[in-house]
Formats: sequence, structure tokens, C-alpha cells
Amino acid sequence: MIDRRNFLTTVAIGSAAAAALAACGAPAASQTGSAANPVTINYTWWGNDDRAERTRKAIALFEAKNPDIKVNGNFTDFAGYWQKRATEAAGGGLPDVMQWDLSYLRDYGQRNQLLDLSTVKINTDAFDKSLLPSGQIKGKTYGIPTSTNAFAVYYDPAKLASLGIAEPDGTWNYKEFNAFLAEVGAKGNGALFGGTDYTSVWWMFNVWLRQNNIEAFTEDGKLGFTKDDLKKWWNTTADLRGTPAIISEERFTQLAPKSPFGSNVTGSEVTWDNFMASYLGDSGAKELKLVPVPSDDPDNLGLFLKPSMLMVASAKTKNKDAAARFIEFMVNDPEVGQIFKTSRGVPASKTQRDGTTFEGTDKLVVDYEKSIEKYLKDAPEPPIVGFGTLEASFKRISSDLNYGKLSVDGATDAWFKEAEDLIKQNA
Amino acid sequence: MTTTATPTRPVPDIEQADYNPKSESVAAKRTKSGIFHAVTLALTCVVLYPALWMVASAFKPNSEIGGANTSLWSNNFSFDNFLTAMDGIGGVSTLTFFTNSLVLALGAVIGTILSASVSAYAFARIKFPGRSILFGMMIATLLLPFHVVIIPQYIVFQQLGLVDTYVPLLIGKFLAADAFFVFLMVQFMRNLPAELDEAARIDGAGHVRIFTAIMLPLMKPALISTSIFSFIWSWNDFLGPLLYLNTPEKYPLPLALRLFVDQTQSSDYGAMIAMSVLALLPVLIFFLVFQRYIVEGVSTQGLKG
Repeated sequence: MIDRRNFLTTVAIGSAAAAALAACGAPAASQTGSAANPVTINYTWWGNDDRAERTRKAIALFEAKNPDIKVNGNFTDFAGYWQKRATEAAGGGLPDVMQWDLSYLRDYGQRNQLLDLSTVKINTDAFDKSLLPSGQIKGKTYGIPTSTNAFAVYYDPAKLASLGIAEPDGTWNYKEFNAFLAEVGAKGNGALFGGTDYTSVWWMFNVWLRQNNIEAFTEDGKLGFTKDDLKKWWNTTADLRGTPAIISEERFTQLAPKSPFGSNVTGSEVTWDNFMASYLGDSGAKELKLVPVPSDDPDNLGLFLKPSMLMVASAKTKNKDAAARFIEFMVNDPEVGQIFKTSRGVPASKTQRDGTTFEGTDKLVVDYEKSIEKYLKDAPEPPIVGFGTLEASFKRISSDLNYGKLSVDGATDAWFKEAEDLIKQNA
Repeated sequence: MTTTATPTRPVPDIEQADYNPKSESVAAKRTKSGIFHAVTLALTCVVLYPALWMVASAFKPNSEIGGANTSLWSNNFSFDNFLTAMDGIGGVSTLTFFTNSLVLALGAVIGTILSASVSAYAFARIKFPGRSILFGMMIATLLLPFHVVIIPQYIVFQQLGLVDTYVPLLIGKFLAADAFFVFLMVQFMRNLPAELDEAARIDGAGHVRIFTAIMLPLMKPALISTSIFSFIWSWNDFLGPLLYLNTPEKYPLPLALRLFVDQTQSSDYGAMIAMSVLALLPVLIFFLVFQRYIVEGVSTQGLKG
């Protein structure tokens, strides 16, 4: 039985143990390291086994070239990644260097969680000037793009040939594109649909707005387009909904989490060009091709390069110098390009791009981005806070449109209400 | 499935039944039991189908899983997915993930058994000031969702420098923080006759003696149900390890499983499913070994002492 004296002893031992544990875990604060006594930085990324393997190689290379820095790598899946970052940010323990996604940049940047990379030495001379603003907010550079992707239309040449349909060359307007979807759907005879409803994809809407010289968001974070613009957009495919030109929403849901295009159920898909490897793997197709998106103005395709991911550093890192050197290495080093190829997207830095040999699938994506070079405009600024929610509700409301639950007018009103509420909340 | 399980026994002849009331009741009973079994078998098939799908998919090539593929079996039967799964992720072997999960799960079982039983003994058998208030507060923690305490807890462990160790994941188990198990054991102990303690006390036994020699052996069913649940919960826990562990070498299985699927890149569903099948085995074995105690534990807890 525990009496008072024993109790006190227990408490004393307990607190001593806790103090000892705390002492063990206290991190050593130091700015510079040497080969004998290297500084350690933590680097974290999301991705699968393949990316983990490539990143491990890149880290080993970095450590060999920089014996005074040790890099601790750590990875999780995409969804878990952001849960973990949110908790760490609240607890003040973000890793030194992180792989980052564009949609989270403004959120963490505005809350001063990320280091302003213009205050440290990172060489960005090899970057296209139109791309860098996508990592900048109000004059501060929070992220350096590692790689880029662009919007494109995918198709499977073998499937089109078997239906006797000519391959598109990518110079088309919306009417011609719709006709193409309808033709694939009609000849596909129930087994093959034309595509998914491209008006349900936020980024395609964004491209269309740019084709009409409208910015999606104003500089102060408000919506840059009107209800009429959105109505016009959603009406673009009004005649195709419910026909074989567009896969039905029921079928789309049944196929999830696989994409209809990856499941060989549609003849085309409008999305980012870095989905190539995943589509090839899922569909088992021999070859897939990429062509530019439709536009009613042949001189303005509205296309731009978007950073597929960025490198950022924690504002609280104790090793700014080491973090900056690691970021510079990851974005600029040609050997790193050779390790990752296009698995992060097409390398953003010219040094890295030129130092990499692209073959097969990789070459298709790089060639596509080269072919649209003359149409490229400035990358958009980092999306507004809560953009992820807006993008998701755009998809959800579009799917209600496809289910026939909402009219175009009703869908527009519903989305605007959600968007305006969200913008007000985050203002 | 339903058709094969439908009873083939003919409906008993009513005329004949009139002559022999006894046999009628037997026949009627058999029909009823036949229908009952048919219905339960059919329901079992429905319930087990996802598990069957998982096992079947583990042997299919990645391109034939999900999406437009609806058939259960594939002609391209192979063990490739298991080979990929056993290959490990990013240089960490799958065996490491298994060992980590096992360490965490067994740690959780041991910690919970030790701490919850002692705390339950105090609540059920010792009269001390503030007992009912403390008991009420403990029950109140059951109502607090885990997500509410995530960030404060993280800050505490972060300040103590305990992130990236197993301490944040296990310390709660050793301190009886799982109020559910304490509550379960308190209820169980309250049903044990107080006369046993009194007899022991008259013979000169103290609390330690009463607890170890009398309570613990009698509590076996409750201890076993606690072990099973805390093993399974810890084995399946995703959020805790996700937040507190930073080194891939320390990851348990649920974190590793997610790494096969990446919507932003390519996903290897086959390997993920194969690994899920492997990850299920220990839990299944644990359950099979102890399942008769679960039934025993549940039925004993229903008795009023």
C-alpha cells in the first residue's frame, strides 16, 4: 500500500526521470558545421516508394559533396503529410527543409511559418523569370519551384486508330474539341466515352479565363471573374452532358480512385502533363500522346507553367545556411535532375534540365512543354488561402450539374456563395 | 450463393403432421433452422465479400485492380505483389515495419494491463477522498475527442524533446490514460463479491496481496478482452505514429501501407493490398488464439455478483 512517504519518493523519481528525458532530447543549436562535426538538417517530402528511393540517392550525393551537413530524410503520403505539417506548425516544430505544394504556400507563408528565401543565398539565375512569382507572396520568396507541369489533352493513339478517328493535332477551338469528344463517344459504342466533363476541372476553367484575359483572383485575394463568366464556362459542355461524349457521373464515381482515362473507359483526358507515368501504368497502354488544350483564340492558349512542387524552409530553422545550400542543390544540380528525371515534373532550372537526359515517357512530357513554350504566360500567384476547398467544391458542384441535380444557374449561385463565404472567412 | 444454401428439405406434409403433432414440431423447427442458416450464410457472404476481394486482389496485377475491372479473380495470378510488398520502401525493409508495429502493440498491451488494472482496483475497492469526483473526471475524458488534444499534446512532447521516439505513443498506456479500459475493469471488479476481499483482509492480507492473489486471477476475462482491444487499436493506429514519428526506420505498418498509394504520382494498389493482407495476419492470429476468452469475458461481465 502506498503511504505518503512512498508517494513523495515516487513523484521525486518521476520528475527526475522526466527532466533527464527532456535533457536528452534538447537539440543542439549551431549555425555552421564541419566535416568532423556536421550540422544536421531535417528534410521531409511526400510520395511513394519510387520517390523515396530517388530522394535517398539525391541526399547521399549531397552529403558526399557537403561533408559538413547531414540530412535526415523523412516521408509520408500526401494526405498524412499535411496533417503532420499542421500539427508541427502549431507546435513550432516544422522540419528545416520541406517539399511543398503550391496550394499550401500562401497559408503557411502568411502565418510566418516559412523562411523568406530571398534572405539566404540561393542561385535562381537558371530559372525562367515567368515561373518565380509563383513562389512569391507580397515581395517575399517562400518557395523555389523544383519542377513544372502544364495543362494538356491526353489521348491514346491506338484506341483512336481502332475506332477510325484521326489523331488531333492540338489546334482546335472548343467547338472542334466538343465534336471530337462526341465522335469518340458515338463510335465508342458504350465501351468508350469521349472524356470527362472538362468544365468540372478548376484549372481548365482557369486556363479558359486566361484565354479571355481574365485573372481568376485579384491581387487582394478576391474573385476576378463574374457569375456570367462561370455560367458561360459551364454551358460550354451543356450539349454533351448525358451523351456518350462525357462519362456519366455514376460511372466516374464507380471507378474512383482510378481515373476513367487510366481505366481505359474514356478516349481522352484534360489534365496536368505529369500524370503521364500514372496513366501509362494504370491503363497498360503502349503509348499516350499530349496535345495543347482547345482555345477560341489561336494565339492565346492561356497556358502557363505551374510549379508541380516547391522547396521551402521553416522560418524557425537554426541552420539557414545549410538549408539554403540543400535547396539550391535540389533545384539546380544536374545530377539531381538525372536522378529524378520527370518524376517531380519537368525540372524548372535550365541547368538541371540541360543536365538531364530524357528518354521514353520523360521525353514526351519534356517535348510537350517545349512545344508550347511560345504560348506560355506568367505563372499565376500562389492561390488564395482555402483554395483547396474552393477547388474541391468546384468539382463537387460540377458533379451535381452532371447528375442533373443542379442547373447551370443554380450551380453558379451555389459555387459563388461558397467561394464568397470562404474568402470572407479568411480575409 | 443464396440458392445453394436454400434448404432442399421439402415442406412437411400438413396432413401427416396432424396425425403426429410431435414430429410436426421437429420438422417445423428444422425448416426454421434451415431458413435461419440460409439467411445468416447469405449475410456472412455479404459481410465477408470485401475481405475476399482484398485477398483476391492481392494476387492480381496492378492494372487489373479497381477501376473498370469488376471480376473477382484474375487469370494473371501471381505473387509479384507480395514480392514488391516485402521489398520495403525507400530502403527500409518491410520486416522493420512489422517489428515496429509489434513493439508498439505489445508495449500498449503490457502498459494498459498493468496500469488499467491497478487504477481500476483503486476505484473499485479503495475508499479515498474524492474518489467519485476523480472517477467522474476519468469518465469525462472518454467524451473528449482525440483530435481536441492533439496539438496541446504535441507541444508538450515537442518541448520535452520526445518527438520521434515511442514515448508519446506508449506513455499514455502505462499511465492508464485509456479511460475505457479502466472503466471496463472497474465495472468487472465491482461485480466480484466483496466477501472475498473481506476474508483475505481478516487473514491479514494488504491491498497488494488482495490485488495480486485474489483480484488479478479472477479478472482474467477482463484482462484478456483488454489485451485484445488494445492490441488491435495500437496495431491499426495511424494518426499517433504519423504525428510523432519522423524517421522511416521507426514507422509502423499503417504508415508504410499509405506509401504505396500516391494520387500525385503512380499508385501501386497491388502491393498495398498484398501488404494489407500480410498486416492482417498477426491481428487475425491474435484474435483466433484469444477469441474464446472474448466470448467468456463478455458473458462474465454480464453476470451480476
